[in-house]
Amino acid sequence: MKQKLRSSVQIILLFALTAVGLTGQSYPGKPKIIRCRSLEKETFSCWWKPGSDGGLPTNYTLFYSKDSEEKIYECPDYGMSGPNSCYFDKNHTNPWTTYNITVMAMNEIGSNSSDPQYVDVTSIVQPDAPVNLSLETKTSASTTYLLAKWSPPPLADVTSNSHVYRYELRLKPEEKEEWETVSVGVQTQYKVNRLQAGVKYVVQVRCVLDIGEWSEWSSERHIHIPNGESPPEKPTIIKCRSPEKETFTCWWKPGSDGGHPTNYTLLYSKEGEERVYECPDYKTAGPNSCYFDKKHTSFWTIYNITVKATNEIGSNVSDPLYVDVTYIVQTDPPVNVTLELKKTVNRKPYLVLTWSPPPLADVRSGWLTLDYELRLKPEEAEEWETIFVGQQTHYKMFSLNPGKKYIVQIHCKPDHHGSWSEWSLEKYIQIPTDFRIKDMVVWIIVGVLSSLICLVMSWTMVLKGYRMIAFILPPVPGPKIKGIDTHLLETGKSEELLSALGCHGFPPTSDCEELLIEYLEVEDSEDQQLMPSHDNGHPSKNAKMIAKETDSDSGRGSCDSPSLLSEKCRESRAILSTLQTQDIRDVQENNGRRHWETQCIASEQKILLFNNESTKSPIWPAAQLPDNQPPMFAYHSTVDVHKITLCTIDVNIAPVLVENEEQHQPQYPITETVHDNMEKHREVENLYSKTDQTTVQVKQNRPNDKSPFSKPKLMDYVEVHKVRQDEVAAVLLKHKENSGKIEKYTVPGTSKEYTKVSTVVDHNILVLMPDSRIQHIPVSQEPAMEMSQNLQQGQTEKNMSYCLTVPSECKRETSASEYMDPSSFIPAFK
Amino acid sequence: MALARAAGRAGAAAALALLWLLVCAPGDAGCHLLTVADLFDRVIRHSGRIHSLSTALYAELLGKSARKCHTSGMLTPNRKEYAQKIPREELTHLILKLLQAWKEPLSHFNQHIEHQELPDDSLSKAKQISNMVHELKTGVEKVTEKMQSMGIISNSLNGMASSEAAGLSISNEANMMSDSDFIHCFRRDSNKVQSYLKILKCRIMPENSC
Repeated sequence: MKQKLRSSVQIILLFALTAVGLTGQSYPGKPKIIRCRSLEKETFSCWWKPGSDGGLPTNYTLFYSKDSEEKIYECPDYGMSGPNSCYFDKNHTNPWTTYNITVMAMNEIGSNSSDPQYVDVTSIVQPDAPVNLSLETKTSASTTYLLAKWSPPPLADVTSNSHVYRYELRLKPEEKEEWETVSVGVQTQYKVNRLQAGVKYVVQVRCVLDIGEWSEWSSERHIHIPNGESPPEKPTIIKCRSPEKETFTCWWKPGSDGGHPTNYTLLYSKEGEERVYECPDYKTAGPNSCYFDKKHTSFWTIYNITVKATNEIGSNVSDPLYVDVTYIVQTDPPVNVTLELKKTVNRKPYLVLTWSPPPLADVRSGWLTLDYELRLKPEEAEEWETIFVGQQTHYKMFSLNPGKKYIVQIHCKPDHHGSWSEWSLEKYIQIPTDFRIKDMVVWIIVGVLSSLICLVMSWTMVLKGYRMIAFILPPVPGPKIKGIDTHLLETGKSEELLSALGCHGFPPTSDCEELLIEYLEVEDSEDQQLMPSHDNGHPSKNAKMIAKETDSDSGRGSCDSPSLLSEKCRESRAILSTLQTQDIRDVQENNGRRHWETQCIASEQKILLFNNESTKSPIWPAAQLPDNQPPMFAYHSTVDVHKITLCTIDVNIAPVLVENEEQHQPQYPITETVHDNMEKHREVENLYSKTDQTTVQVKQNRPNDKSPFSKPKLMDYVEVHKVRQDEVAAVLLKHKENSGKIEKYTVPGTSKEYTKVSTVVDHNILVLMPDSRIQHIPVSQEPAMEMSQNLQQGQTEKNMSYCLTVPSECKRETSASEYMDPSSFIPAFK
Repeated sequence: MALARAAGRAGAAAALALLWLLVCAPGDAGCHLLTVADLFDRVIRHSGRIHSLSTALYAELLGKSARKCHTSGMLTPNRKEYAQKIPREELTHLILKLLQAWKEPLSHFNQHIEHQELPDDSLSKAKQISNMVHELKTGVEKVTEKMQSMGIISNSLNGMASSEAAGLSISNEANMMSDSDFIHCFRRDSNKVQSYLKILKCRIMPENSC
């Protein structure tokens, strides 16, 4: 696994590298050692040429080893001989040693080494060229000769001045190709005779140490060998220019001075005037120039300009130049060139150029009007694109190539005459790349990376198998009732618990009596819901919870808790007995139409007989009940099953309800779908409407009603499949400890919980029997079953199971206790 | 010759266009109200075209010019300061005078060069120049009228305008010039006219792209 992980990490790293590669960064190219050279055999330097830097800052290191030892050293001095060089001073230079030198380039990504260079210091000696070469012509005994003087090459190391160089000198007439080379020796000056008079010569010198190579030739020096007495050459007027159409300047190029100091004079005359003037200002515009200020500048007049060169021998006059200042205007280039990228409404970038006229040009007076022209090209392109702009000082450029760097320049010229100015300084602008392209690259990288991660993940999954799957997709936890607060359960206040469940009212209304469903047929059929969930894992929890329950007020709790069962049962028995008496009374009052029979059968089976013929249900005023809880259970136990059933879904029942039965009409939704169910209910309703004040109307499928029983969890145990029209519904519950459990379900560890209909006794009576089989695999065929209900049911069943496992004393002692077991009521019709 | 005639027609058409624009009075319906600045821009452009044409023609005639121009005797400001100091009326008058001075010599020149062995192109240019100078003069007169009506310049111009006699003698002098001298001088004066017009415009309307 580790290995695989490592390899996948490597793959990711590889991708990262590739991504880096996309950005153009890489390890540096191979450097190359260009040359090593010693100036004087005592020190030497090596230079190298860097390879490509891979787009990153790159460091260069020079390593060397000597043939006499194994050790590798680094360059002692990188700075002395300039960039990309290494200087070996005296201490690091041994003339009798061969050096093995390599240069290593290093950047963040990697390194690269040059080929090694083997250096023998003696063979690389080459001095610098001699310096300070000066030439002069001298005349002695009517012969003219040339005297050349120079200095030996300067050395960095002052102590090396004792070196002896040999020199060579070469010269030629300027116009010739072939050099004449003279060996000078160790002197630093030389006399050249037999030179041609009146010819210009070029002279150079070079030097060599006793070993090694000749130096480069020194820089050229020119000298004119005078030809006796001669006047200066004719100067040439180069040009005249007015930078702002107000003043102008003329420049000339002097000719040969003829070996004598020469003066230059600029003379001019103006059109229509005979008089000749001399230049008013030789200084302002520099040497060999004449500046005409405003006073001396006239327009629409032709200047006739000449330059005269004069020396002691004679003078020479240039060709004349005719100048109309109007036509020699050439301004300075425009200034303040700014480039700005803006975006159109479509987010397309365009370039806005602005500039200012040259500062000297007075464009506001109208005297000078400038036309502008701009040129631009991508940085790498050869050809400029030139655009004539006219007189405006701004321009917008559309349709530039995105991602390219453009160079822009502008120049200007007076309209209709004059010359273009120089181009302004180059301005650069980077046109942003098309965002879509950038995005594409990013998304491709992201996509590749994410798919890679997916691959690695799935790979790992396959390796790790189901554990991984289980990790990613944990088993669905058992259903939980949202409304149940375990804390409440622990404290045992079942009223709160009930109210939490939404069953606010207790005692239940007696309206159930009024049910006209007089005949209930309970079937143990496949339709009935079995609750599988409670079998797994929940019982223990519930058991604990209930075991902790010490609330003596709660009949249910008492029953639930095995340890306290007998005690509780006794209490509940007491309550029940009162209730029963009441019931009986009620029944009697109801003209005997209603029969309550609670029997504790000696065989430990209880048969609860419900007679629903009576249209009036018993009234259980809250006042009569000291505590809501026990009556509730009592009620459950004694009240007609159908009522319970009907109440199961009703959530909100207030005690008030009992008192005001007339106003509150609990509804008893019957969720079990029976073929004639609807009709039944309609009938039931009708019947209820006929009943008197205590009648409870049964309204089918109304969710807003209030019912004393809000325990949907109980719905599963008993289902009324049919309500017969003969208005007699009877459910005979036959079981040891729990009535109403028609469905079979399994509680681990108990074998007595299963009940089923054993027989139908008489007419309208079902006998429910405990099922001794240990396990029935519950089959739920009702898809509409809600999880919460399941859970509730499971809990209830659990509770019951405890009751069931309790010694039979409770049951034996009182038959009522059996009925008070809430579980017996909880099984309800849907 | 056909070319020259074609050029002549083109010049006439341009003249008509210019005239129409200039004649169009502000009161007319469908006629854009032309400001003095617009008029100035037009005459300046027009003079610029004349100057370009004459420059081209000058290059074609390849003459070396050293001769005095017949208008050299006219005192015209020959540098910026002078042109800026001279009264507006006087400057306007100078422009008109310069144009007037070239009117007759130009037509004479046209007749003269028709008998010479010159390229058609040059002849058409000469013809065009002649027409355009006429148009330009009309245009400048319109601007002047407008400026006078608006009180930008005084009406003292009228007295100065009639110096036809002097103009005639000048014309005679011009007729004696060689072709290249002639066109050289004309080119210079067309440039003068343009420069003066610009100066005048920027003096009158300094805010208007000056």
